[in-house]
Amino acid sequence: MSLAHINIFLAFTVSLMGLLMYRSHLMSSLLCLEGMMLSLFVMATMVVLNTHFTLASMMPIILLVFAACEAALGLSLLVMVSNTYGVDHVQNLNLLQC
Amino acid sequence: INMFSSLMLASLSVLTLPIMSSILNTHKNSTYPHHVKNIISYAFITSLIPTMMFIHSGQETIISNWHWVTIQTLKLSLSFKLDYFSMIFVPVALFVTWSIMEFSLWYMHSDPYITRFFKYLLTFLITMMILVTANNLFQLFIGWEGVGIMSFLLIGWWYGRTDANTAALQAILYNRIGDIGFIMAMAWFLFNANTWDLQQIFMLDPNLTNLPLLGLLLAATGKSAQFGLHPWLPSAMEGPTPVSALLHSSTMVVAGVFLLIRFHPLMENNKTIQSLTLCLGAITTLFTAICALTQNDIKKIIAFSTSSQLGLMIVTIGINQPYLAFLHICTHAFFKAMLFMCSGSIIHSLNDEQDIRKMGGLFNAMPFTTTSLIIGSLALTGMPFLTGFYSKDLIIETANTSYTNAWALLMTLIATSLTAVYSTRIIFFALLGQPRFLPLTTINENNPFLINSIKRLLIGSIFAGFFISNNIYPTTIPEMTMPIYMKLTALTVTILGFTLALELSLITHNLKLEHPTNMFKFSNLLGYYPTIMHRLPPLANLSMSQKSASLLLDSIWLENILPKSISQFQMKTSILISTQKGQIKLYFLSFLITLTLSMLLFNLHE
Repeated sequence: MSLAHINIFLAFTVSLMGLLMYRSHLMSSLLCLEGMMLSLFVMATMVVLNTHFTLASMMPIILLVFAACEAALGLSLLVMVSNTYGVDHVQNLNLLQC
Repeated sequence: INMFSSLMLASLSVLTLPIMSSILNTHKNSTYPHHVKNIISYAFITSLIPTMMFIHSGQETIISNWHWVTIQTLKLSLSFKLDYFSMIFVPVALFVTWSIMEFSLWYMHSDPYITRFFKYLLTFLITMMILVTANNLFQLFIGWEGVGIMSFLLIGWWYGRTDANTAALQAILYNRIGDIGFIMAMAWFLFNANTWDLQQIFMLDPNLTNLPLLGLLLAATGKSAQFGLHPWLPSAMEGPTPVSALLHSSTMVVAGVFLLIRFHPLMENNKTIQSLTLCLGAITTLFTAICALTQNDIKKIIAFSTSSQLGLMIVTIGINQPYLAFLHICTHAFFKAMLFMCSGSIIHSLNDEQDIRKMGGLFNAMPFTTTSLIIGSLALTGMPFLTGFYSKDLIIETANTSYTNAWALLMTLIATSLTAVYSTRIIFFALLGQPRFLPLTTINENNPFLINSIKRLLIGSIFAGFFISNNIYPTTIPEMTMPIYMKLTALTVTILGFTLALELSLITHNLKLEHPTNMFKFSNLLGYYPTIMHRLPPLANLSMSQKSASLLLDSIWLENILPKSISQFQMKTSILISTQKGQIKLYFLSFLITLTLSMLLFNLHE
């Protein structure tokens, strides 16, 4: 693989690490989710443009749309948590209460 | 040289002078009421001349002077129809109004707004004149609405009183429901006869007249307080007594009957509508007579008596005798206005006491009022050769000998005897026996205004029937030969009513008061009609509209069906079936370790 591809792939992996390992704030995993989405988008666009695979050039844009939806969902969950506790520390989520 | 039309127009236009004087501000002085009364008396005398010319020659006139507008093919102009009906009604109405104005000079003497009161009464009179002399439906509608508005203003004269305001509003609402019928009839005539002129409608003689005549019947039901739209008339007694005497006994409530009489060429040919009017009038007259039996307010008893007589007039139209109904309108005006004025005299003398259970013994204390009350009641019940006899007895005779609905006839006869019953009740409670009012009284009937006005109507009540019947030209031939029991029917039931009421009153006068029976409650609460109809239909309408508009559409279909139901369902099931404790970091870390391990395994496995 070329250097650019490895670069982006590394960015993706770092974001994945950040998503799965965080200390207390829920917000940081959401941010890493966005980072993953961003790196995927860039990777897909680079591959499509370099191989002139024009038919698949819809794919990054659709990916963007769905990522926006999931970001909204994540944020609403954050807001729900923040409504009950005031802060979004993950150690608060030990009670399954609605 | 024929001065017929100019004299009639002069007498009608002279009435509008005091109204226009309010522009010049001459109406602030204290003699304005006297001016108004004098002007009405002059108008009365002026209108007698064309009436006598009419009686002498039978000449009918139509004055059509000002072409107002032509809307495509409809020509509207200012047009007065001076025929049999309007020529006789105008002097009668002016005479009665003259007496009532003089009476209200005494009755409303201490009222600070007496000039405004007289202005309102005069405006009412003008709109009533417009109504009866109208030749096209548009002008009639102007007069129709005008009397409705003035009725509202006059019923709510003492506007500080809640009951008066609700009564005025009730009058307007019920009249409006009748106006729907009127407008429907106007629309039908516009579409099918291309005109609103009475002459053209009668000339064209349309075939299927069910719909417009139904509309006119609905209008008469609203304006003349027939059964179904009747509760506004007893409530309208919240207004001052002159208002009750003028509007709600002689002039406004006969507007509905007058409308039906005007359309008698169309009603002659339509048997269905005639049967409908007959049954409606019969129900009204019996129902309101039953309600009048147990009322305790003297004005309400007389109001129900008016309602019952109006039902009788509608019955007369139903047996195809419009001229008899018109005669009854004219004679009824005299004694009903006088009855109201006598009750006003009693009320004022007993310091605004209207409950007959607190009156009594006025036979010796107020001889003049007593005389006129008794003569008025006798005229009302149709005592031979007083005024009421000439119209009421003829109506009963004609109904007896015509090919008509026997049930309606029976109802009318029962209502006639009930008329005698409640009249006896008024006389018994208000006049006879020992006094039941407070000892410190202000009984005084010495005022010349009071005495003169009642005296004029008294002479009218005794002689007017004879006078009018002998001077009008014969229209429909009354039935001359009938068996003797039929001829004496009206007299017999009336005497029966009198004796029954007198005996019952004397026997039960000193008995202990018991709990009211069901029949008593039915009669006293006006047959439960206002109680039910003023509460249930508005509640049903409003709750149904609220449920269908906001509850059904907005909150159920938009909110509840998908979003809220899904969220409720999910929350319940997730609480039910999950056993997790929420250790997110642990779960994420295990996921990461699994991922790394699997990647290492798959890549380094050779």
